[in-house]
Amino acid sequence: MARARKIPGLEGEITFSEAAARTVEIRAQEIFSFADGVLDTSNPERVHDMRVATRRLRAALEIFAPCFPKSEHKELLREVKKLADALGERRDPDVQIDALLTLKAELGQGERAGVNGLVAEIRARQARGNELVEAAIEHVGELGLEQRLIALAQGAVPS
Amino acid sequence: MKARKVKGLDPAGPLSDNASLIVATRLDELYSFDPHGDAQTLHDMRIAAKRLRYVLELTSPALGPAAAKGAREAKDIQTLLGELHDCDEMLALIRRHSGDLRGLDAEAALALAPNGAGELPASAVRTLPNRMHYRGLETLTAYFTVRRELLHRRFIRKWERLASAQFRERLLETL
Repeated sequence: MARARKIPGLEGEITFSEAAARTVEIRAQEIFSFADGVLDTSNPERVHDMRVATRRLRAALEIFAPCFPKSEHKELLREVKKLADALGERRDPDVQIDALLTLKAELGQGERAGVNGLVAEIRARQARGNELVEAAIEHVGELGLEQRLIALAQGAVPS
Repeated sequence: MKARKVKGLDPAGPLSDNASLIVATRLDELYSFDPHGDAQTLHDMRIAAKRLRYVLELTSPALGPAAAKGAREAKDIQTLLGELHDCDEMLALIRRHSGDLRGLDAEAALALAPNGAGELPASAVRTLPNRMHYRGLETLTAYFTVRRELLHRRFIRKWERLASAQFRERLLETL
């Protein structure tokens, strides 16, 4: 899992608004740095990294909520949640399949048919999850989400 | 679960003062749950631990090393409860899947009965399409049930250790 980027300048007497601006800008950039290869089901780490980055941004948006214009903040937070939900629809099946395949390797022939059937059902959900992620990434691109988040962050510092 | 509203935040005030208010609220939230509660309670408690962890991680440069340590403890709680939640999800998935298979087998068996039949021939059991699947699913159910129980015991031990170490009180003192 990719480590969170350090936010410079949070030490000392920084204001809540300045911290909000610095944090949200970096966390927004972080999400989109993981978008390449996220639809590759043979590499579950990309979707995991992007989901974790989305959670960090969502947490920052919630923590610093009072620092941002209410309606823009509400709309962008909703979009980040939708992206996180789509990534979860792909990531949860990845984790479940991995756990079941580990257990299957320990089981006898008579027990494997049941596990295979369950894995097949989860793989179908994984494929649907991948379609949701693809649609969500296209949607946030059309929305200009990264740029709007950065603009939101920059707007947090009182002029 | 909606997060509790934090009162008194001031965007123009220092990060450390605002962070202290948020941490205190998130701690109250975490401690409002029963660690012996049902699946939904433990799920909500995990979310409360996650919220506490993120605010401590994010603001530890301003709040100091006690916040960083608190973030690690909150992360441990979140991880344990997350794994426990994964077991609950898996058990629900297996239950649904088994129910679907039983439904399909019942339909298949019914199709074998001649029109107007009042009895099902014993030979029908040989042709049920999913008859080989149940054993593996029962084994998985047993595995995830026990794993959940062990994770819950670990979580309780962790929770009790934090209580003995006065985790909540010490964290509040440092704010």
